[in-house]
Amino acid sequence: MLKKGISLVLISLALGFISRNFGFSFHQAAAICIFSASILGTLFFWNFRLSFAFLGTSILLITRTIDLEHLIKFSSLEVILFLVGMMVLVGLLKDSGFFAWLVSLILRIPRLNANRFLVIISLISALLACVVDEVTSIIFIVAAVIEFCDYFEVDPSPFLIISVLATNIGSSGTVLGNPIGVLIASKSGLTFEDFIVKAFPIMLLCLGAAILILKVWYRKPLGELDRKIKELGSNEMLAKLISVPPEKELKISLAIFGVTLIFIALHRRFELLWHLEPNTILLTMPLISSGLVMAWKWEKARDYIEKDVEWWTLLFFLLLFAQAGTLKYTGATDVLATNLAKVASNNLGALTGIILWASTIGSSILDNVVLVAAFIPIIQSFQSLNINLQPLWWALLFGGCFGGNITLVGSTANIVALGILEKEKNIRMTFFRWFWVGLSVGVVTTCLVWAALVFLPFYR
Amino acid sequence: MKVREVMSCEVKTVPAQMSVQEALQLLFKLEISGLPVVNELGVLAGMFTEKDVLNFILPSYIHKVGRFVYTENPKSIRNKFSQLDKIKVEKIMRREVVTINEDATLCEAARLMLTQKARRVPVVDKTRKISGIVARCDVLRALAKEAQVL
Repeated sequence: MLKKGISLVLISLALGFISRNFGFSFHQAAAICIFSASILGTLFFWNFRLSFAFLGTSILLITRTIDLEHLIKFSSLEVILFLVGMMVLVGLLKDSGFFAWLVSLILRIPRLNANRFLVIISLISALLACVVDEVTSIIFIVAAVIEFCDYFEVDPSPFLIISVLATNIGSSGTVLGNPIGVLIASKSGLTFEDFIVKAFPIMLLCLGAAILILKVWYRKPLGELDRKIKELGSNEMLAKLISVPPEKELKISLAIFGVTLIFIALHRRFELLWHLEPNTILLTMPLISSGLVMAWKWEKARDYIEKDVEWWTLLFFLLLFAQAGTLKYTGATDVLATNLAKVASNNLGALTGIILWASTIGSSILDNVVLVAAFIPIIQSFQSLNINLQPLWWALLFGGCFGGNITLVGSTANIVALGILEKEKNIRMTFFRWFWVGLSVGVVTTCLVWAALVFLPFYR
Repeated sequence: MKVREVMSCEVKTVPAQMSVQEALQLLFKLEISGLPVVNELGVLAGMFTEKDVLNFILPSYIHKVGRFVYTENPKSIRNKFSQLDKIKVEKIMRREVVTINEDATLCEAARLMLTQKARRVPVVDKTRKISGIVARCDVLRALAKEAQVL
């Protein structure tokens, strides 16, 4: 602990001093030093990340590296409010039995065999991650996988890894899949429809590639599952095991969520129709829906806000965004962007590759929100160099989502799923048991994205 | 009136190393829902209750899944129940235990029971060795007596 603390202080100070010697101003160097300390703080002391964010932000204000007005501006309150609204809606869906209903659907797969299970579990994991965030979706998928594997008496680990890899891939498909999706959408001007037209097809292509890799990689566990299905009969008994009483509340909740999704999906059209600022509908729709939910369920409204909203995480995001904004405010990112463009010889393809692989490798170690928050102001600074930003935004999105597949700590979904596995089955995943399959899927899918972004004019 | 005057001095405890199966049998035998857990030095280490056993045998995601309804008892519950003789009490017991000392007032005991949602509070000395246990009914009975209501 002490060693990590000393390393954190030394590395951050060294980065600050090096920046100062490379021509950055005092405030730029201070912003780099403090932001690095926050990033390293999340890496070394995950449970203390909020205290690092509080302290770092206070130092930025006291040293006048940023003023209060800009700190609030850069904290991306609109993104935080969007996430609050979505968390309330997910709380409603959970209460109404939506996720339990989904679990029971998975357990009722008709004409069950191992390959069918592999494909369906991957597809549902990816699609559910597209509509609710990946951390929420993985809990229910893992619940289904563990119940399923318990029934057929097979090791759940391979199937759990399959569902987590598919979840991380699926989270890149829409704005809603991952906090980085909405963050990128709000900063880049890309709409939900852009995500559906450009990100969703690549996500499906990568999911297909991942399923093929996983089918070969896990041929033995899949063969074992097939044997067990034949031995124990199909899943008729399993289907009877869990039920969700169909209630009016579930239907109403689904209708509210469906209408919200429609408005979010078509937000740009509504904004143009009603002459609203870009992203107004995107960012306010979850607030409108959750406001209505809290009026409908007024006796539970306080619970939705206090228990279903992850305030700890959201506060961390808010301060992290403000710290990353300080890099832009001081002009540090302009200098970084100019140097990065020089390294890439101002070649868009090379720059796209750099952003894609840097974010993939970075998010395999760091929380992807931390990484994306650091990259956003740099990408914004490329605008002044007349560089087309669109492929860079996609590179950041896919790198941030797919990098999480490489290591078992690469994304919150991985950590949540493995935590449940350990608690339920007493199985502790080893680093390398995850790493080789994660690396294979991570590298292949990132290569596919790289090829699409570089060779398809559609993404320029 | 002080806690010392109303507490039960004969306290049944379970050793932290006892199997959950044996500890559960003890709860059934004594017809109570929980017992303090002590380590090899006799120091309070935690609290073992029926709720801890339920927490262990049901899936940890049950709270998050929402309306998950089992129409038949799944194999996993039977499997987990069969593991109870291999698991030690210290693995599933609650480690954060509300305690009180002998000289505290009944009002303080009542406050702890209400705010910390505790049915019974172990009475410990400075070394955290158990000298007694005070239950909600002990406190209420004594307070009523003090007020001469009953």
